[in-house]
Amino acid sequence: MPKNLQYIIDELRNLRNPEEFLAARDRILEELTRVDSDFEKLNFKYERSNKEKNILSSLLTRTSADLKKVSDNLKIRAEELSTILTTIPAYVYFKDVNLNYILVNQSYAELTGLPVDKITGRSLLEIFPLYKSTGYLETEQKVISSGKENYNIEEEIEFNGQTRWVNTNLAPIRNPAGHIIGLIGISWDITERKHYESELKRAKELAEAGTMAKNEFIASISHEFRTPMNGILGLSEILKNTPLDESQADLLKGIVSSAENLLVLVNDLLDFSAIEAGKLELDFHPFILDRVLEDVFQMLNMKAREKFLDFSVLISEDVPKHLIGDSQRLRQIIINLAGNAVKFTEKGGIEIHIHLLKSTVDRALLRFEVIDTGIGIPQEAKESLFKVFSRVKQNQSKLIVGSGLGLSICKKLTDLLSGEIGVESEKGKGSTFWFTLPFDLTGIKIQQKEKTEESEFKLYTGKRVLVAEDNLINQKIVSFQLKRIGFEVDLVDNGQLALEKYNENYYDIVILDIQMPVMDGYEVAKAIRRKEAITRNHIPVIALTANAMKGDKELYLAAGMDGYVSKPFTPETLLSAIQQAEIIASRSRV
Amino acid sequence: MQVKTFSSASVKGFMQAWDENSSDGFNPNAAIVFSSVDIDLNGISTFIKKKGVRLFGSSSCGEFLYNSSGTVISEGGLVCSMLKLEPGSFDINMFSGKGIDCFNLGRTAGEWVVKTFKKPAIFVVASGLNTDGEQLVRGIQAVAGGDVTMFGGLAGDDAHFNETYVFSESAMDPQGAIIMVLDLSVYEINGISTSGWVSIGADKIITRAEGNIVYTIDNQPALDVYKMYLNVRDEDLPEIGVEYPLLIRKQDESFVLRAVLNVDREKKALIFAGTVPNGAVVTFSSSPGFEIIESTRKEVNEFYKYNPNTDLLILFSCMARHNALGPTISEEIDEVWEKWSKPLIGFFTYGEIGNNYKASCDFYNQTFTLVSIKQK
Repeated sequence: MPKNLQYIIDELRNLRNPEEFLAARDRILEELTRVDSDFEKLNFKYERSNKEKNILSSLLTRTSADLKKVSDNLKIRAEELSTILTTIPAYVYFKDVNLNYILVNQSYAELTGLPVDKITGRSLLEIFPLYKSTGYLETEQKVISSGKENYNIEEEIEFNGQTRWVNTNLAPIRNPAGHIIGLIGISWDITERKHYESELKRAKELAEAGTMAKNEFIASISHEFRTPMNGILGLSEILKNTPLDESQADLLKGIVSSAENLLVLVNDLLDFSAIEAGKLELDFHPFILDRVLEDVFQMLNMKAREKFLDFSVLISEDVPKHLIGDSQRLRQIIINLAGNAVKFTEKGGIEIHIHLLKSTVDRALLRFEVIDTGIGIPQEAKESLFKVFSRVKQNQSKLIVGSGLGLSICKKLTDLLSGEIGVESEKGKGSTFWFTLPFDLTGIKIQQKEKTEESEFKLYTGKRVLVAEDNLINQKIVSFQLKRIGFEVDLVDNGQLALEKYNENYYDIVILDIQMPVMDGYEVAKAIRRKEAITRNHIPVIALTANAMKGDKELYLAAGMDGYVSKPFTPETLLSAIQQAEIIASRSRV
Repeated sequence: MQVKTFSSASVKGFMQAWDENSSDGFNPNAAIVFSSVDIDLNGISTFIKKKGVRLFGSSSCGEFLYNSSGTVISEGGLVCSMLKLEPGSFDINMFSGKGIDCFNLGRTAGEWVVKTFKKPAIFVVASGLNTDGEQLVRGIQAVAGGDVTMFGGLAGDDAHFNETYVFSESAMDPQGAIIMVLDLSVYEINGISTSGWVSIGADKIITRAEGNIVYTIDNQPALDVYKMYLNVRDEDLPEIGVEYPLLIRKQDESFVLRAVLNVDREKKALIFAGTVPNGAVVTFSSSPGFEIIESTRKEVNEFYKYNPNTDLLILFSCMARHNALGPTISEEIDEVWEKWSKPLIGFFTYGEIGNNYKASCDFYNQTFTLVSIKQK
């Protein structure tokens, strides 16, 4: 700029005539405008700088005031933190990435018995020379390398000859850039708590052992009930088939009905305690659904008719007939639900519906519904319905027989069988109890046998059965029932005799009580199978037992038996067991 | 597309210049006018309506024009761009902001935009001193999508802070938005937004705010904090507020600037050109001085590398830049002319809207927002 001005001045000095002045004037004016504009810009910059200087200096003053306030606050915070660190009833320490102490609080120093300045800069092993475990140091190293917190590390350590339990929380410390620069550890002495914990644990174990013992006691007591029950029911059956006058027949009916009720109670109790003790055995085998439902129908239709109720079973057409599952438990669930329906219905009827929900080539999911027109269930009772000992409150005058375990058992059984159970009901309008169960589908068609007594007579007439049973009453019952379906029965009262008979004669089937003097049922079965290993035969062998606990089945099978009947048994269950055993035995023949 | 640009200082001069530019048979179908509020804006609308041309108009806080016949940076005048656009490739509409919040105003406009073109580019200018530009942008994006191409700004009124306007050939609104939508299958539209402002002073927390109104900063009345920290006299507000905006730090370490557009002296509140969220960490900010021109030059050069061809350049430059750079403002606009030597028109705004090639569209303050329109 000064250069340009100098140029103009020089030009003015060298002007020689007015023409030259005119020519130069425009250039001079233009140059002056530019100078003016540059001056304006400069002037602006100057004013602007002044203005900004003022504002910046104000900002600087305020900001330094702010910073002082912040630093004062920080001092106060630091004092507060230091107070907290000193007084906190915990051991607090900071370590660098090499796991050397940077800072510890007073409690920690007291624990080590060293002054704070003797701790900082040193490592754990230098502070506690007796410290043996490397696990703790590894955990700290992991917190540093992974950057992840580790809470509730419990460890037993020795200080000054004393064993103490401590609980430690570890967390990494990061700098503002996010890099890990160390860790903080906070430990509590939990020796007292550990002491209480172990006491609690012991108390819990004792309580659990008590419960287990109780369950086992109930199971064995119920089991003991079964043998005399078998006697009562079996002998009643025999008595029913002798000439009786009308009043005697009525009395007998009363005995049978009471005994059956008692049996239901005992069975419920046994099932429940077996489930609770985890000893319930599921038995998956091929079966025909219709047969199960016929059993249910026969069992409950009579009772329904006594109360003038309709009773019907409806099976959708697409429901497969041949299934693999635990038919015994299925029967039990349906009987329980349908039995309840009969019990709680005074007018109308009960319908059992079975639908197919889903099916694949080898699986089917079925839904069973028991629909009644009974008293219904109030909303508030529904939730607790499937719980143990739950009974919907009834009018006092009406005594409903039952253990209160039925629905709870149904629930546990459907759970065990991977199904679901539920109820839809409105008080006064009846209830629908439903459950769903999955079944495998069998490729083998079970030959369906006509289930009339006559045909059963025909089926087993001329067949020979060997029965080993030491209890005289049971001997009578078994042989009576077997004779009714056509068998010729050979009876012995111990295992030794059974084996001798088997070796001397030909039999179509062998039924063995398990607990017998001289030689038990297992030994007999094993001996039979040993012999058959040579003869390449396989005779159906059925165990007669009062046991139905988990694990028992393995023993029967291991001994080479094909099935078992649990005492007390009905003619139907005995027949069914014989048929099952025959199927299994036929498959086992080479 | 064909473009002619001119400037004027009155309606009369405007009409003459229009006719002169049309005398060679140039027959425009659209016009962009940025004008001082001192000029009779109604007169301009009426004239343009008679010509059967669509108008995209906004009041300004100073306006500028660069073309082959010269350079104009004026206050109190107007600049005009006469456009001959492909028929059916554009549309212009006004949306009134009366009785509707800025977000919903944006939504309404966005609905019209997406109905008009499948691939729209939006030019939007809004009037109103309390307009929350950020909410307007969010409203449009809520309908047209977060990645829609959009540029524009807030209308000015020569720093009187009384009333700003947007206008078309048939309407004028002191509280509304005017939108020109272009079909992106016909035009290529790109832009940049750059500010150069820097943070100054200690971090502060917004302790009470509603939308774009801030009541307290660090639990002190916002107006008091602002005046005390910047050593500002009451009579300098709100004018000086545009120059010293709040810098709001975002969680991803980026930031936006929010200029003070107005003050509520009774409630000791500051009214910003965009939303300032409760709990936001803010600092004051300032232009670092004349080096912001350098930073703009760099950005313009970078942008030129990828967009060397253009038909028309539109620049929305914050009035605060004009205040901060004074007459030297021409140096950063000169850079654009030197690079492309294509018609450039623009005005000094109270806020800018723009896509940055680095991010989706946002509402800014203090920026130099440059847009290039080119027919494909």
